[in-house]
Amino acid sequence: MSEKGGKGYSAPKAPKSALKTSQVSSKGKDDSSAKSKRGRKVQFDNEGTPEVNSRNFSDFGGKFETLSSKGDFGKAGKGGKTMGEGKSAMLKDRSKLELRIENELPKNAKCLMDCEAADILQGIQEQMVLLSEDPTIKIPAPFDRGLQYAKRGNHYSDPQSLRRVLDNLTKYGASDGEICMIANICPETVDEVFALVPSLKKKESKLKEPLKNALSELAKLKDST
Amino acid sequence: MFFHIVLERNMQLHPRHFGPHLRDKLVAKLMRDVEGTCSGRHGFVVAITGVEDIGKGLIREGTGFVTFPVKYQCVVFRPFKGEILEAVVTMVNKMGFFAEAGPVQIFVSNHLIPDDMEFQSGDMPNYTTSDGSVKIQRDSEVRLKIIGTRVDATEIFCIGTIKDDFLGVINDPGAAA
Repeated sequence: MSEKGGKGYSAPKAPKSALKTSQVSSKGKDDSSAKSKRGRKVQFDNEGTPEVNSRNFSDFGGKFETLSSKGDFGKAGKGGKTMGEGKSAMLKDRSKLELRIENELPKNAKCLMDCEAADILQGIQEQMVLLSEDPTIKIPAPFDRGLQYAKRGNHYSDPQSLRRVLDNLTKYGASDGEICMIANICPETVDEVFALVPSLKKKESKLKEPLKNALSELAKLKDST
Repeated sequence: MFFHIVLERNMQLHPRHFGPHLRDKLVAKLMRDVEGTCSGRHGFVVAITGVEDIGKGLIREGTGFVTFPVKYQCVVFRPFKGEILEAVVTMVNKMGFFAEAGPVQIFVSNHLIPDDMEFQSGDMPNYTTSDGSVKIQRDSEVRLKIIGTRVDATEIFCIGTIKDDFLGVINDPGAAA
């Protein structure tokens, strides 16, 4: 059967273990029919609804993600939250260690930089101080640890300007998750960004200059400690 | 990484709570039940920031409980494969070291520590480079990359590496003078 070649793209995912939740279906009907001829085992992504995929994936609770993620989150977290970006099945080659947030969280999830999270959690803590006078209300441990972590990672005095500077990069193809990572890392050079966020490397030519400018802006915004 | 998301949950309320403060009681119960919990999909629910909508209650047959569908916004912390995090070392042994980033525990195996760092046992076990210039010990801050995650009933556990470029110790508490 040579549906593989005949559909106008090369190397669709081979029929591997049923555990894989391949997300090739951005191509739509073509993929499904190709796969069906090969004797599909589990109907995870018939019509390519990414939410179905991610829900099914999360059922595999006890397994390390490394086992089942070989090229299956084919989008590899590129191009923002719109799942129908049409990234092809060639993504099997992509590194496993690229950030792939968009496939695993609900579409309305908003990535927060550490400084933004610190602001929000600080506000909640101030309210909690009042609530904690009630002995039946306990402040959960993850909240404390989350707040400490966010504060520690917070090198910037003004989250809004930070967000403004980095949102500029979305015009050049950086996704929300990648932007938040850049903010959290506090990089000093462009090389550092590309080394730590490999998914940006594909857009290196477009991103290099804007990134350089963004980093110099960030350096000005950094708290002087 | 932190996220701000909207989640939905069905809350059951006992009839003794019905009355003019029904909504407040529902929200308090939601906070008690959800804050601090952990799920595979969303990670740790660190805090609830608001309640978007409380649907109509449905009385359950056989009991007097009423189920309300509640939509709420919350801040969650979820580590991802490929993410770069700064974590604080909590324990060092010859297999590697444990570190904590927020509510998440991360283990870095000695195979994923650069080869020029050796384990030194003693009162304060640590990993040190051959020239002694870089040390990883308890309370050191390290930048690491997550390479795998596992979710238990109540917590998320990750495996990390510091063997790549731009990873490793940020701040050595022993060096502070």
